[in-house]
Amino acid sequence: MIPARHSFLEASARARLRGLLDAGSFREFCGPSRRLTSPHLPALGMPVAFDDGIVVGEGAIEGRPVLAAAQEGGFMGGAVGEVHGAKLAGLLERALDTRPDAVVLLLDSGGVRLHEANAGLIAMGEIQRAVFDVRAAGIPVIAVIGGRNGCYGGTSMIARSCDRIVASEEGRLSVSGPEVIEAVEGIEEFDAQDRALVWRTMGAKHRRLIGEIDTIVADDIEAFRGAVAAALDDARALDLDALEAEHARLATRLARFEGVKDAREIWAALGVNDPDRVSDIEADEFNRLVAVLEGTRP
Amino acid sequence: MDASTHSVRGSWDTLARNYEARIARGLALAGSKVVPAAQTTALMEAVIEPGDRICIEGNNQKHADFLSRALADVAPERVHDLHVVQSNIALAPHLDIFESGIARKLDFCYAGPQGLRLAQLVKAGKVEVGAIHTYLELYSRYFGDLTPRVSLIAAEAADRDGNLYTGPNTEDTPAIVEATAFRSGVLIAQVNRIVDKVPRVDVPGDWVSFVVEAPKPHYIEPIFTRDPGAITDIQVLMAMMVIRGIYEKYGVTRLNHGIGFDTAAIELILPTYAEELGLRGKICRYMSVNPCPTLIPAIESGFIEAIHCAGSELGMEHYVSERSDVFFIGRDGTMRSNRVFCQLAGHYADLFIGSTLQIDLEGNSSTATHARMTGFGGAPNFGSESRGRRHGSPAWLRAGQEAHREGMPRGRKLVVQMVETFKEGLSPTFVERLDAWDLMDTFDLPLPPVMVYGDDLTHIVTEEGIANLLLCDTLAERAQAIRGVAGYTEVGRKRDRRMVEALRERGAIVYPEDIGVDKRLASRDLLAARSIKDLVRWSGGLYAPPARFKNW
Repeated sequence: MIPARHSFLEASARARLRGLLDAGSFREFCGPSRRLTSPHLPALGMPVAFDDGIVVGEGAIEGRPVLAAAQEGGFMGGAVGEVHGAKLAGLLERALDTRPDAVVLLLDSGGVRLHEANAGLIAMGEIQRAVFDVRAAGIPVIAVIGGRNGCYGGTSMIARSCDRIVASEEGRLSVSGPEVIEAVEGIEEFDAQDRALVWRTMGAKHRRLIGEIDTIVADDIEAFRGAVAAALDDARALDLDALEAEHARLATRLARFEGVKDAREIWAALGVNDPDRVSDIEADEFNRLVAVLEGTRP
Repeated sequence: MDASTHSVRGSWDTLARNYEARIARGLALAGSKVVPAAQTTALMEAVIEPGDRICIEGNNQKHADFLSRALADVAPERVHDLHVVQSNIALAPHLDIFESGIARKLDFCYAGPQGLRLAQLVKAGKVEVGAIHTYLELYSRYFGDLTPRVSLIAAEAADRDGNLYTGPNTEDTPAIVEATAFRSGVLIAQVNRIVDKVPRVDVPGDWVSFVVEAPKPHYIEPIFTRDPGAITDIQVLMAMMVIRGIYEKYGVTRLNHGIGFDTAAIELILPTYAEELGLRGKICRYMSVNPCPTLIPAIESGFIEAIHCAGSELGMEHYVSERSDVFFIGRDGTMRSNRVFCQLAGHYADLFIGSTLQIDLEGNSSTATHARMTGFGGAPNFGSESRGRRHGSPAWLRAGQEAHREGMPRGRKLVVQMVETFKEGLSPTFVERLDAWDLMDTFDLPLPPVMVYGDDLTHIVTEEGIANLLLCDTLAERAQAIRGVAGYTEVGRKRDRRMVEALRERGAIVYPEDIGVDKRLASRDLLAARSIKDLVRWSGGLYAPPARFKNW
């Protein structure tokens, strides 16, 4: 029988934080009782949330102090509006003062809240700048992806600005969502209804194989907790050399896979013997496969 | 006795001679039993006659879609005024033939996606509706007054002699084939492929008139796949109440499940909740239901011993084949379903449980709502008291004791509706008057399209509690029992508190705490599988879900 487990995918933002951080260690900033709600949504006749769809605060992972944020995908798909963005940017800026061991961002979002248009866009810029400031100060920023909304739009750019990304295979990471691509490029280019296609193109396994995600875990809050704890010291260099190396990597990747039509062809080219099986295997078997491909197997 | 008195009709084989003439016209055109796809429409013009009763096979899943399109292309001056007698009006060409005058009259069971357009065509006078039947009723009339002259069916494969292999999904095929072939009707089969030898003969070739290899395999809809990810905590609570308050109480071992998320929730807490209650081997051992993927954990954990299926389900083929102790598998290793037999098995089971869209104060329920004419599916037959039954079982006898407290002992089938008090969009499930009354007027029907009649219904389960209608003596009590579980709907708020309390003391209304259901446990954590991927895991990789259900 399948053992009982605590799904990260199904948990609320608060339940995710509760499971990820040491028991009882979380202290929320600007919580629901403060009622900091969007100033824009009421004008459009839209409902508001008392936390504007994001939980931010401080806590500990294995006794080490961290700042943490979790987007609530259940409110407007975790979309980023003015208050939501300010809470996230503010949390990151606080890290410069309190010097935690890391900042952990649980992302579950379609990107900018279109209802708040420019306010959301400005927030994205501020968050991204704050991520770089925190990293420049030597504090690692870890992105965690495993919610229903995946990590799209501006949020995907924030994720890729972090030191590390931990994800479950149910997670997705992409700038444009499947429906957007289908609408712009046509169904022949991308069929948004074909969920298997969506996941093998934007899903975490593919993103791991092409080097955009660092760690894949099963959809289990404990597994996420372990992976985040292991990444607390994994700061990535943020200097000109690192940037040039990344640009070179992307240029090589583009040249190598430019004409490829399906993720499975990329996997085959990367040396996967049975690309048709990649989507179906569990996280631990997948990680063994990645270790073999990257030559890191002990 | 002179010759004129022993034969009132003059001849007794007009149907057979008419059949020979039709076949001769068909063969003159095609040259053999196997007809090229390009000649299909011409074949239909040759063998179908004006005024024919015709059946185009189509159910929830499998459709003779190629033949249906070919029929829509015939010249209306050659083929017209057909009387369509088929269970499902699902595809656009099914109604195109009414628009063009090829068909005029319609007897059917279900019109899911075409329900709206059908309603418009009825209003416009293009479709003359005979009746909206239940499945068993229409099949029965094939053997009475509605035998098809021509039937268009779909199968997986045929050989050159016309022997057909239907594959796992047999559904309506046996009823249509038997009625048509044995009363001199023309049987045309579309098949996905023509082979030298079929894996299994489901329909003997000499019953089949013509075979066409369709350019594309016939359409199959994965209609019974329920993603456990969409099951709510409320549905888990209702499932817990059903298991304790009905399955455990009556000891229900033989039953039929509807196909919604409510019953899927029951299936998915059998290996957890029911297992903890020690109910394995005591409930849910024999089912008549399609091979729904949500049954996999209950099968794997030893709850369900046998399942007879009305149809198949995409992606379940391999799993089903590997569980021949549970499913009905042929010597060729694949399942054979049969909707008639499955319906009969469900009719004589101890319990039917399903869902509906509206329930009134007598317990009448309907899935027909304003401006839609969808029909009922299998529920009216599954969800009715089987008065022909004479065999006893603990569940049936116990329900009978509650229903017939005086006089001769009799059994009673359990018929359960499982509904939330409000549907999506906050429209109430419980109403004083069904929309079906308005539909009767709109469509000029002889009676309101009721799915399960109140006098067949024994229990209503909502998130609030269970109404046991067997323990209600009067219509007034029945109405209060229903109001007592109707929550905050208008109907629920009009409950008489004193009567509800009295009914609760009698057990005609039970709330979760009355039957030891701990509401705090009612969460998705109880589900043995919480996603489609979990179902794949439970199946050991044998279940291969269609791409649209995969989030990996």
